[in-house]
Parts: sequence; C-alpha cells; structure tokens
Amino acid sequence: MSAIEAPGESPISTSRESGPLRVLTDARYLAGRAIRESLRQPGVEITNIFIPLFFLAVSTGAIANFSERGFGVDNYLAFQLPVAVLQAVAGSSAASGIAIVLDMERGYFDKLLLTPASRWSLIIGRVWADAVRAVFFASIMLIAALVAGSGMASGVGGAILILIIAGLFGGAYSGIGIFIAMRTGNAQAAQAGFLLFFPLLFMAPAFAPLAVFDDWLRWIATVNPVTYIMEGMRGLVMEGYGWPVTEGGQMVFGSDGRPLTKDPPALHWAFVSLAGFSIFTLTIASLALRARTRAD
Amino acid sequence: MSTRPPTIAERLLDQIVAPAPQHDRDIALAIEAHGLVKHFGEIKAVNGIDLRVRPGQIFGFLGQNGSGKTTTVRMLTTLLRPTAGEARVAGFDVLTQDRQIRRAIGVALQEAGLDILQTGRELLRLQSRLYNVPRGEIEGRIGHLLDVVDLTEDADRRIDGYSGGMQRRLDLASALVHSPTIIFLDEPTTGLDPVSRQNLWEYIQRLNREDGVTFFLTTQYLEEADQLCDEIAILDAGLIVQRGTPDELKATVSADVIYVQVDGDEMAQQRAVGALLPLPNVEDAQWDYNEGIAIYSKSGHDTLPRVVRTLDDEHLPFSNLRLARATLDDVFFKATGHRIEPGDQVGQQPQGGTA
Repeated sequence: MSAIEAPGESPISTSRESGPLRVLTDARYLAGRAIRESLRQPGVEITNIFIPLFFLAVSTGAIANFSERGFGVDNYLAFQLPVAVLQAVAGSSAASGIAIVLDMERGYFDKLLLTPASRWSLIIGRVWADAVRAVFFASIMLIAALVAGSGMASGVGGAILILIIAGLFGGAYSGIGIFIAMRTGNAQAAQAGFLLFFPLLFMAPAFAPLAVFDDWLRWIATVNPVTYIMEGMRGLVMEGYGWPVTEGGQMVFGSDGRPLTKDPPALHWAFVSLAGFSIFTLTIASLALRARTRAD
Repeated sequence: MSTRPPTIAERLLDQIVAPAPQHDRDIALAIEAHGLVKHFGEIKAVNGIDLRVRPGQIFGFLGQNGSGKTTTVRMLTTLLRPTAGEARVAGFDVLTQDRQIRRAIGVALQEAGLDILQTGRELLRLQSRLYNVPRGEIEGRIGHLLDVVDLTEDADRRIDGYSGGMQRRLDLASALVHSPTIIFLDEPTTGLDPVSRQNLWEYIQRLNREDGVTFFLTTQYLEEADQLCDEIAILDAGLIVQRGTPDELKATVSADVIYVQVDGDEMAQQRAVGALLPLPNVEDAQWDYNEGIAIYSKSGHDTLPRVVRTLDDEHLPFSNLRLARATLDDVFFKATGHRIEPGDQVGQQPQGGTA
C-alpha cells in the first residue's frame, strides 16, 4: 500500500451522508448540468420561444376583433397569455425526455446510475431544471404580452404567481417526458411527449371560454387539469386575485356561510390541479425509472 | 497519448491514493458470485457463473462478442439484476447493498459514457460531486487525473470536440475520481492504438501493484489477458469453460501444437483427424475451417514426422505444416471449439447458440 500522496488528497469519506438532503444536493448538481446543456444549445430552445409567440400573435390577430361580440372577452391578448405561457413551458419540458434518451444512447445515463447518487436525484434534477427553464420561458411570454398591451390586473404579485405556476407546471410536465424516456428509451417517442400537450391544452378553454363550448368538449375540459391551471393564470391577468370580498375591513359571507370572493375564485383550483397533475406525472416517472433500473 | 508514454505512467503513480477500506469487516473476496444467471426473455446471456476474485488480483474475463462478458459486468456493477444466483462485490450484496457497491467500485464500460456538451473538467467535477468527494479536494484531484490521462490542455474544451481516444481516457479518469478499491473495465483497450493500449496496461499494473486495487476486466485480446491478468476465465455462451492463471491455462493444452492444412472437404478433414488422434504423444486434434487442423502434442518434434507419414499413408494432400508453442489462443480454441477473432464487431448480438 504505498502511495505518493498528492497534495490535498485524502481517502474518500466512507460515511457519505444520505437521506433527503443528499438527494437534493445531488439533484441540484444534476439540474445545474441540465441547465448548462440548454445554454449550450440555444438553437434547440429558440423554437420554445418562437412557436408560442407565433400562436399568440396569430390567434390574437384573428380573433381579438370579434371576441367581445362573439363570447364577451374584450382583451383577447390577455385571454391568450396563459395559453402562450403553458405552450412554451410544455415545449421546453418535453425536451427533457429527449435529453434523457440521448444520455442513454451515449451511455452517460449508465454512468450516472453507477454513481452512488440516489435514483430519485436523477428525476428531481431534471424536474428542477425544467422548472427553472419554465420560469425563464414564461417570463419571455409575459414580457412580450405586456409589451403588446395585455395588461396585468393583479399587478407585480400576480405576475410572480404566474411564474410560480409556470415553474410548477414545467416541473410536473417534465414527468411525462421522463416517463416516456424511461419506458421506451426512444427519442421519437420522447419527442411525442410534446404532442400530448395538444389534447391537454386545446381540450381546455384555450381559444374561447368554456361557456361557448359544445357539451362534449366542455365535459372533457372540466376534467382536464390544464383547464384550471389556465383559468387560474387567466384570472390573475384579466381580473385579479379572487381575494375575499371585504366591507369595512370585514370579510363578507355568503348564504352558504363561506366567505364571498371576488371573481374569479379560480386561483386555488389552479394549485389543486397542479398538485394532482404533478403527483400523477412524477409517480409514473418514478415507477418507470424503478422499472428500468431494477428489472431490465 | 502517443507523445510520452513512460512519463504518463510515472504521473499515474503520482496521483494514486491509498484506498480507504470501505468498511471495517475484512473482505475475504473482492468479487464473489454463485450461479449467476441472466436471461433476456428467450436469450440466455449468462448461464450460471461462479466467481472468486481476491483483493489485489487482476482478473480477466476472456471471450468473444456475445459470450456474456458485458452482461456479467453489468450485473456485478449493479446495473442489471441477475435472473438467478447471487453475487457480492467488495463484501456487499448486489441485490440489497447496491449503493455501497457503487461507492466502492469504479467502472469504465465498453462505450465511453460521456455527456458531450460538458467540458472534460465539468464532467469530472460533476462526477466527483456525485461521489461525494470532499469539496476542498475536488479541484486538485481533477487536476491530477487530467494530468494522468494527458488531457490537461483540453480540459476546458467541450467533449464533442474530443477524439475517440481522448473520450476513452476521460471516461477512465471519471471512473477514478473517488479512488475506488475495485475497478471494472469492460474491454478497456478495444479501439485503442497500440501505444495507448500499452500505456493503459502500465497504468493498470501500477494501480494494482502500488495500491492493491483489484481489477476485473473483460477482453477479447488473448495477448492482453496473458500480459495483464493473474487469473483468467474463458467465457463462452454464458458459461465459464476454463479458468486459471495464464500459465495454468497454457498447461491445459499440450506443450506444442502442430498446424496443418489438409486439402479436401469436411469428410477429408474428419478422416485426417481420425488418423492423427491415435499417434503417440498426441492428446487432441481439432479441425477449424480457417486454421486447418491443430494437433496438440506433448512432444512436437516427435510427432511432426509422424503427422507427415500418416497423412501420406492416408493419401491426404496437405500444406502449411508448422510447429508452434501453445498459446492462450490454443487454450481458448480447445475450450470453446472456435478461434477468438477480435475486431469482428458484428453489432451486439447478445448471444449466439454455440454451446
């Protein structure tokens, strides 16, 4: 056991701390790497900005002039802003699945699996990075819409809430890409993760309020979690927070004994839907990772 | 790597750290396996392997593509769950203590597993962090490893600009950030030029000699197994068909081998083998489509003239008669019935049917 000691070296500690804190530390390193990955291929990310901005511009251009007459929406740009945010976020988060498949194809995924890092940190790292990217893309949509005159009824606080919702949605959406990547190991399939976004987004009140939908579509939209996330953001842009109604500093209660709120009371439903959606996507992603790393 | 081979080896020595014992319990065996089996549906990749690798050994797994080498490595390194059987690495169970195993081992798989968008230094840094190398030591350690694999100048370039050889060296460095006590190398020198191969051999030997690092390496190069390994297991169709030290293995075949090409169809070959087998001192004779007939003899000089006479008597025309000392190649042939042909990278057909 001779060893010429190199400066600053010592045997690696054997008591590697473990537990949730360690998982988060590893996840942070992996998230940093994933974000670096995005920064180094800006070309891939450009589409995540261009496509939703394009849709925002053309749908507003086509519909804004009759939206008030048609279904009572006077500020159609504001109405469309949440759609652009969700579209940008879904686009960027779906790319994570592809990145994982590339890691698998290059053997780097095995390399990560060979480290003592928890398997959880592999998922959390990706989700984390996607949440960060989601906030970035949502900010661009927000700024573009504000510059174009959408306005923001709930002010700076509401804008921040929208970014938080976008971040959470991004993290949750990344579970879908991870799930597909783990199950198939196939880049084309992972790419299709983005396509799932079409039913999710357009079977929701994306172009018009639920009130004018055909019955079948309205029914689907009411069970679609994205509807509530979208309406939550929309409320913040167009109307305000949905805080309790107050009179002389006192909350006002309705006939059912519950506090009356200003319209729309949709914000809390947005968070409930986000929670349900993330629990679902992250569960299937974790199960798929488990299946891949343990059974094979 | 072709610039200064000896200095690299010296620098390799410099960066070595005495590996800390991973746990108090003395490990009797570095790697241990009983009846290890892996089936992928119908494909039987590994069919019941027993292994005993002592700490400090360089153990070689010799076999062709599809013989089950990589599958075995993936099971021992916790990437694959065995279908049946059990295995312990560094004293830990592959099924229940996979994390402890991953902490103790370093692995360089057949394909360099790299993230090409990172720089070499970033990759090693992330690797060090995931292995929980103490913060203050990471940069120094990375500097040393980069020096060792001769990548210091390219450390801050993105990996997609690296050549194949550079990527392999970086991959190897990444397996060493945490000073593992057991290192798995799956075909470490496949695709390397002769100088790089020689350098890597020296490196392995030094790490082994100076620090008692155990190596488990797979190879399809007989020469590599012969030069490097203390013990070799020959793998064929998912089974170990022969094992021992290189010398022991060579002793399993006769001292000498006489090669001869007999003209004619398979019938003629069978007839020749049948006629040659009863000759005195001859222990075995086998026909191979490419190499002709190999006659294993305890005394080649006595046997050689008899071979000539026998074939003449049988009216079997022949050519290319030669006498050679037995090599691992012959051991492999004798054990498996076919010649090893490195470089025939016929995809990764998981398992042929040659039992």
